[in-house]
Amino acid sequence: MKADVTRLLPRPLLVIVTVLLCALVLTPVLYIVLASLNSDVGVASGEFWPGTLTLDSYTRIWTTAELSTGIVNSLIVCGVTAMASALLGTSSAYVLVRFSFLGRVSILRGLVGLQSIPGTLMLLPVFVLFSSAGTYLGLTVIGTRWGLFLAYLTFALPFSTWVMVTYLRSLPRELEEAARTEGASTTVILWRIVIPLSLPAIVVAGIFAFLLGWNDVLFASVLTRPETRTAAVALQVFGTAQEGGALPVYSQMMAAALICAAPVVLLYLLFQRYLVGGLTAGGVK
Amino acid sequence: MTILQRRPQQQAVAEPHRRGVTRRQRPLWLLAPGGVLLVVVVAVPLGLAVWISLIDLDQYTLRRWVEAPFLGLGNYAESLDTALLHSIWVSVSFAVLATAITVPIGVAAALVTQNAYRGRAVVRAIFLIPYVLPSFVVATVWRTMLQPDGVVNAWLGGLGGLWLSGPRSYWALVLVEVWAAWPFIYLMALAALQSVESEVYEASAVDGATWWPKLTRVVLPYLRGPVLLACLLATLNHINNFTLPFVLFGAPAPEDVTVMPMLVYVTSFQSLRFGLSAAMAVVSMIIIAIPLFVYLRAVRLDVHEQEARR
Amino acid sequence: MRSGRMRLALALAVVTGLVAAVAACGGGDGGSGGSGKTLNVLIGANTQYPQEQQAWQKSIAEQFKAQTGAQVKWETFASANDELTKIQTSVVAGSGPDVYAVGTTFTPTAYATKAFVTLGDQEWQKIGGKDKFIASTLGISGPDEQHRIGIPWVGRPFVMAYNTELLSAAGIQHPATTWDELTEQAKKLTNGDQHGLAVAYKDNYDPWKFIWGMSVQAGNPIVDGRTARLQDPVVRKAYETYFGWLTTDKVVDPAAVGWTNSQAIAAFAEGRTGYMALTSALAAKALDAGAVKGKWRFALLPTVPPGAAARPANGVEAASILSGDNLLIAGYSKAKELAFQFVKLITDQPAQLEIYRQLGQLPSNAAAAQSLQSDPNLKVVVEAQLKSKATPFSGAWADVQLALTNAVVQSIPELAKGSITGAQIDGRLADAQKSAQSALDRVK
Repeated sequence: MKADVTRLLPRPLLVIVTVLLCALVLTPVLYIVLASLNSDVGVASGEFWPGTLTLDSYTRIWTTAELSTGIVNSLIVCGVTAMASALLGTSSAYVLVRFSFLGRVSILRGLVGLQSIPGTLMLLPVFVLFSSAGTYLGLTVIGTRWGLFLAYLTFALPFSTWVMVTYLRSLPRELEEAARTEGASTTVILWRIVIPLSLPAIVVAGIFAFLLGWNDVLFASVLTRPETRTAAVALQVFGTAQEGGALPVYSQMMAAALICAAPVVLLYLLFQRYLVGGLTAGGVK
Repeated sequence: MTILQRRPQQQAVAEPHRRGVTRRQRPLWLLAPGGVLLVVVVAVPLGLAVWISLIDLDQYTLRRWVEAPFLGLGNYAESLDTALLHSIWVSVSFAVLATAITVPIGVAAALVTQNAYRGRAVVRAIFLIPYVLPSFVVATVWRTMLQPDGVVNAWLGGLGGLWLSGPRSYWALVLVEVWAAWPFIYLMALAALQSVESEVYEASAVDGATWWPKLTRVVLPYLRGPVLLACLLATLNHINNFTLPFVLFGAPAPEDVTVMPMLVYVTSFQSLRFGLSAAMAVVSMIIIAIPLFVYLRAVRLDVHEQEARR
Repeated sequence: MRSGRMRLALALAVVTGLVAAVAACGGGDGGSGGSGKTLNVLIGANTQYPQEQQAWQKSIAEQFKAQTGAQVKWETFASANDELTKIQTSVVAGSGPDVYAVGTTFTPTAYATKAFVTLGDQEWQKIGGKDKFIASTLGISGPDEQHRIGIPWVGRPFVMAYNTELLSAAGIQHPATTWDELTEQAKKLTNGDQHGLAVAYKDNYDPWKFIWGMSVQAGNPIVDGRTARLQDPVVRKAYETYFGWLTTDKVVDPAAVGWTNSQAIAAFAEGRTGYMALTSALAAKALDAGAVKGKWRFALLPTVPPGAAARPANGVEAASILSGDNLLIAGYSKAKELAFQFVKLITDQPAQLEIYRQLGQLPSNAAAAQSLQSDPNLKVVVEAQLKSKATPFSGAWADVQLALTNAVVQSIPELAKGSITGAQIDGRLADAQKSAQSALDRVK
């Protein structure tokens, strides 16, 4: 790597910005870590540095919430959603970018328009639709991971498509054309050329689709049953205090939040090498 | 890297026979799976939601909702009498503000992690943390930090004040949303930076351009499309964010932060006026869609480059 | 090249695995529908005693299985909102849990949906008869005796907690029994860093309970048939008293404008507050974990309205709202007979005592409650339950409650500045009256 030539920022500026941003992120995160080691009374009374240090909450969370089931469910549902929406998004975007046809611009605009639909508006109708699939078609959708997957896939799809549209536009078309003249079919072109070349964008689209499902509570709370609960829903349990009752289990909630964030950060660390690549290697000349 | 360079040869080996696909044959079938999903899971429920907005659906008619009395535009007329317009204003202004603040932060973060250095992987993962934490945790954490006797006021000393009620609650909402959402812009900018070829940097290095003109004239133009798209989607996400304000302020929320999703949620799931709340949501959707499409035209995101037309 | 293949293969393997996992679940879950031998029960998750709750669920499920041969399938909801959404979506779709445990104040709303079984004499017999319950707990089961849908399950009456050490140091012999006395005592208890009262002004559930309590004690039930009576001197006095603790009497920590109930409890638990103004028996665990361990007791909330030395003739002796959980049986349930048997099981004395021992929830079963009177601290709580009064049984109550709370939420900026004028209170009450009345006008 010719670091000196391609470096975007002078070193001092780079260091300052990095440190500032890390501080911005890590201060509240440090608060979460400290709170997870504190007592509930300590957190509720606004302590930053714990009065007492204990790892208790890290052992107790597993009985308070169905956290392990939740994490497994979330990983499965969100993982499949991420892959499916990235693939569907790529193929849709490929058509939308490379071919011109009637209604193309309307589709593109409509996809953005879909993002302006509030989730709170959709909750009840989606539930009615899914439950009538059970009544009229004999398909159990509510309470299964399938139902949740379908909902997330659909909500993630417009976004993934758009990410891929902007990326594919900047992608030179020489390779595809070469393949076309060689007689390759669209599927082959997609699989062998477009997808490998747009991995960074696919990873981004996948990450977003994954996180959309990972963070959703609204739909997951009505579309799941105890055994298909996602981590975000399982976490909700920590936020509750009985009306007029007692302290929410703050320290356990913070511990659980960290534990739920860990698999995503790990997955990201695994996938982030695909974020670099694409054209930087000079694949097209 | 080497894989990419060798792809074309492998292509030739794997597909020796010609199928004669011409440019005229457009594989529109590729749009079908996504299209079907969007129709079934979005369009049908949306139609149902619009129907609900026309009927008198509340706790008294919920069980037999098919038979609920038809009101026509009654709910719409009533929705304009409520705090809806105020809510839309709060939502939109807060969302635009949050986007305006997150863009420089996100782009800067993408720029500082573009060049490899020891520990970059860790820094990149750290940048992702706010986005990975569930909204409800982020909101609870900030709520405890921002309470009157919380740590934020302890650090601010005399500058502290009431963050979760009154006029400052608006800024608290912006602050927390910015903290939670800037990695979105960062990820989009980071992906866009990958499409900048290293030759571009090298060329500008030959020109003797220093970092600032290189950045503004060479690199940032590559970010334009993705970042404009990111702005759009981020703004819409801010507008529709429900969990964050709900957990941060609770319901009923202070008037300064009664954002649209909160109003819709409280109207439907606490006051149980599903018809009215659906009408509110539809009205706000329309009000938001107008500037949305103006923006889309203005930034020409959906317009093909010349070369793409055939 | 090879690494490319490997990655592809790995990716495919992961995809296949995940899809298989999704599919496996989709198939396996289908059978749980109306088999008739399974009873689905929705109850609130208990984060204070998670293990105890699981143990209790297991024990009940085993007893039920032994009695009827049927399975109990437990579902839990995390929060009141979660619960509301779940109930509403199930009602719309006509499918979901067979038995619901809901908060008492939600019962009127549930009644308005007509989606739950109304209990006639025959049904009451099936669950062991009305008489086995504490009479007052039936107060929010339905609009009248013939139309009851809620079966009292557990009670969580509201009480005050006080710091015995601080009270005796201030020369106070007995906890206050009138609101004025409480204010006076709180003034004596306030001294520098130490405050007389812990009040959660920012809580979403607490404030209206004070206002309702003080008003009903002065003879205004807030909702009178189809009329909301919020613009009333009595209600205004209640708000003035409630705000006054902070602004004029200065017996509350100024930070309390940002407190939820749990933060107020935390402040009391630190031992620098004389009274915790509104709490329930569930707080015992948190209090014993704090600095006040061994130095606190429960007391009844005052039952004489502010500004008076005795309750007026039309005043009601309401020590608390009637609080706790009611059981509802879904009208769409295909296992109603099982549901009745289940409800009987968990409201009979043994199960009621068991849930008290495991989870600290007070029995609604009269015989079970009687047997708990021996514990002096608990005696107060049981007494509070006996003196609990039901909030108005109206489908519009949720909105009235919201309006009462909203008047406090919107006043917090003024409270933080230290003063709120009568005109400001009147303005907030006018808004509240308007939204409460419009909700009542819609009652069908």
